[in-house]
Amino acid sequence: MRGVLGGLVAGTSRMAIVDLEAGLEHLSRGTARHVETLLIVGEPYFKSLETASRSFALAKDLGIASVRMVANKVRTPRDEETVREFTARHALPLAAVVPYDEAVVAADERGMALIEYQPAAPSVAVIRRLAEELLAPTAA
Amino acid sequence: MKVAVAGKGGAGKTTIAGTLARVMADRGHRVVAIDDDSNPNLALTVGVDTASASKFPGIPRDMLEERTDAEGIKRLELTIPAEDFIDRFGVPVRDRLTLLVMGQPNHGGSG
Repeated sequence: MRGVLGGLVAGTSRMAIVDLEAGLEHLSRGTARHVETLLIVGEPYFKSLETASRSFALAKDLGIASVRMVANKVRTPRDEETVREFTARHALPLAAVVPYDEAVVAADERGMALIEYQPAAPSVAVIRRLAEELLAPTAA
Repeated sequence: MKVAVAGKGGAGKTTIAGTLARVMADRGHRVVAIDDDSNPNLALTVGVDTASASKFPGIPRDMLEERTDAEGIKRLELTIPAEDFIDRFGVPVRDRLTLLVMGQPNHGGSG
């Protein structure tokens, strides 16, 4: 199916947002070639950040131009500090810091889209800003 | 714009991908949200009930062709234009937003 995903992303005039397989092992060079921005989502603890860092290296090897980290479920200033310190030390561009948000859990429990359950949730606000930044002409 | 979202299971990549797709569509962009995870649940976070999202029958054989690339790697490719494929197999979510679920094992996505 590898060639199919790449062909779809490349062949459509629409904006494509792809929820990838958890690891990047399945991502072929052929598909990666058509991806402009890869967002790697990680949580603010060491093992998760280490995993993100490995994905980052793999994505760079695949030739993806813009690879950026999104920290998720950030609960405390200390969590944020952990993320910022780690990404700075490993030179990983940090695209967004999404707070831990009860609305995500509650939406999931109700089987609802987060943005429908609580459009003004703190996590949604950060994702809106991320979208704006991705659309800005200055975005890397 | 072509964006892919990766991350370990449980990290929240699907929530972020789905919400991002909704936000982009709300801003006036035509968006296809593609679920390439072998355990697909992007439908929920874009706001489609999972029953209608799982009706995808799999890609018919005549729409796939095995080709060998320059590196000698064999891969399946579509024989119809991407837009036709999305129109045919995509699930309309709302204005400007279509969901496409790729990752079900019944059509070979689990390799």
